Amino acid sequence: MSPVPAAALLAGLAAAALLADHSASVALICVLLLAICLRAPAERRRMYLVGAFLSGLAVVLVTPFVETIGSHALWTGPTVPVLGRLDVTSEELRNGLFQGLRLTAVALAFAAYALLLDHDRLVQSAGFARRSVLAIALATRLVPTLERDASGLVEALRGRGVEVTGLRGRARLLSPLLAGSLERAMNLSEAMEARGYGRRGATRAPRPPWGTVERLALAGGVLAVVLGALWL
Amino acid sequence: MALARVERLSFAYPGSEPALRGVSFELWPGEVVVLLGPSGSGKSTLLRALAGLVPHFHGGHFSGRVEVAGLDTRTTRPSDLAGTVGTLFQDPEDQVVFTGVEAEVSFGLENIGTPPEKIESRAAAALAEVGAAGLAGRKVAELSGGELQRVCLASVLALEPRLLILDEPTSQLDPDGAAAAIELARSSGATVVVSEQRPERVLDACDRVLFLENGRVVLDAPRADALDQLPEAWLPREADLPDAEPAGEPVCRVDDVSFGYEQDRLVLQSTSFEVGRGEVVALLGPNGSGKTTLAKLAAGLLEPRTGRVTRVGRACYLSQDPGRYLVAERADEEVALAVDGDLARARRALAEVGLAGFEERHPRDLSSGERERLALAAVLVAEPELLVLDEPTRGVDPERKDELTSLLRAQGSGRATLVVTNDHVFASAVADRFVATVSEPEREVSLA
Repeated sequence: MSPVPAAALLAGLAAAALLADHSASVALICVLLLAICLRAPAERRRMYLVGAFLSGLAVVLVTPFVETIGSHALWTGPTVPVLGRLDVTSEELRNGLFQGLRLTAVALAFAAYALLLDHDRLVQSAGFARRSVLAIALATRLVPTLERDASGLVEALRGRGVEVTGLRGRARLLSPLLAGSLERAMNLSEAMEARGYGRRGATRAPRPPWGTVERLALAGGVLAVVLGALWL
Repeated sequence: MALARVERLSFAYPGSEPALRGVSFELWPGEVVVLLGPSGSGKSTLLRALAGLVPHFHGGHFSGRVEVAGLDTRTTRPSDLAGTVGTLFQDPEDQVVFTGVEAEVSFGLENIGTPPEKIESRAAAALAEVGAAGLAGRKVAELSGGELQRVCLASVLALEPRLLILDEPTSQLDPDGAAAAIELARSSGATVVVSEQRPERVLDACDRVLFLENGRVVLDAPRADALDQLPEAWLPREADLPDAEPAGEPVCRVDDVSFGYEQDRLVLQSTSFEVGRGEVVALLGPNGSGKTTLAKLAAGLLEPRTGRVTRVGRACYLSQDPGRYLVAERADEEVALAVDGDLARARRALAEVGLAGFEERHPRDLSSGERERLALAAVLVAEPELLVLDEPTRGVDPERKDELTSLLRAQGSGRATLVVTNDHVFASAVADRFVATVSEPEREVSLA
């Protein structure tokens, strides 16, 4: 499928999750997006799925302690400066679950975008704001590049007999990873300029025409937003 | 009429000593010029000046004049020179914009305004020219270093530039691939300026040699004259691969091993060899034939799918492009990582690779050559029983290569050393014998 309608469909589903009012509707969208993500190879999708579910779970766990809504207290704790009295109500739990599902849906939509879309064709399809789309595509590529750099660092250290373990060991990789990605960004931008990037009069390779699937996906994206806003 | 003219060019990067000092020369249509010189002599800076990237991209103090095809590089941006000038940089991984090969090769064509109906055919033709037509549908992340370098070369050749600038274009290519790439550049009809650390790969194909030292052109001569005047280390050397019998107590034995990164595709099949104590063994083979994978298996960084790898004692592995994988804030701390923070040992190891006095420097403040030596010290310090080096001469000039050879030979008696390399001249000098991987269609017969 052409990446533009696919991206529109994913954006529509993410928007629907943000607009919907019922946890069941958002859960359904999550299941749909998860099914889409499962089409990616297992090794690649693992990190994205773990990230999506962990961030959703974090919202579910934290929300009841930072919100003060509802009157059906399930647990009452001490008073903490700034946060006030800690308590958990059934309304807070429901809202935490709802917000957690929303975040999970958006993260899954991004995961599907990063894992399954042809970002090259997406950039080439951009009829306007090509620079912005290219920046998004390069930023998307940053995730697997960082992943590769991180495994390169771990492997280089293992090659010296140094095992990277625990949070502290992994934290030590953050600074070289950042420095490495800045160096890479400099080199890449130099290479792009040398290949004419930013010059007036750029053209684009012809794109294959859209078929029925592409039109349906685009319509599905729009429909998801409308359904999310009005009925879900 | 000259295609490019460099007049009294001096340049210093911001806050640095001059990288180029009063450089003058002309480039004539169709000639192939080889740029030689030690690491840090200003070769890459000079190439960047020809592409307009110096001073536009890097800033710094620029004096003199560079003119390419009648365009003054001070007033013409590098993106406007693209197409007239095509530049292939040293590290292919740092110049790839897209995830797919076809889109990558098309990128420059789109930028310079090639008519849309011609983009696909020119991209396909360029890929075919470099022998990479089969890579068209692949993702760049799946390619080996050599394959990626071919794709980058295709991206530049697709632009049909009048001035082709190649910064160590063969550093990741096997000898056949390197010869083909140089021949391809030569036959493109463009004026070619190629910087290279392996003179034997380019001197036969060039018309003229420029030799740089400390930012100055100290030799500018036709090839035949240059061969009489070049420093000895820079003269082409014959590769005479040694083929001694395996010797010494086996420190690493790879026995009937197969391995694949994906479930349905094997990178290595039925592969066996051993490395004995006191031996330096060169692991040779074409790009994509699994040399790095085999080296990682030998070092214990990967586990074989079938077969066995046995080792005696500690193994250390130095990856390709090791300067990229430094984690500490100081050079001595980087080296000390492998010896539980023993800074005294780390400093001795730094001195062994010629980095005495660099102990407190931040690894990322070092030049690329210095980083490579730092990374070498970081594995040598552990005094491993098995030392595995993956392409240790990539981007290393001949003089440093001779030093590395001496170091490995001097320390080789107490350990087993496996060196993965495409540099047959280096392999001839450093190794006692070689084993070779073969390319995919012949893989059943794997090793020599």
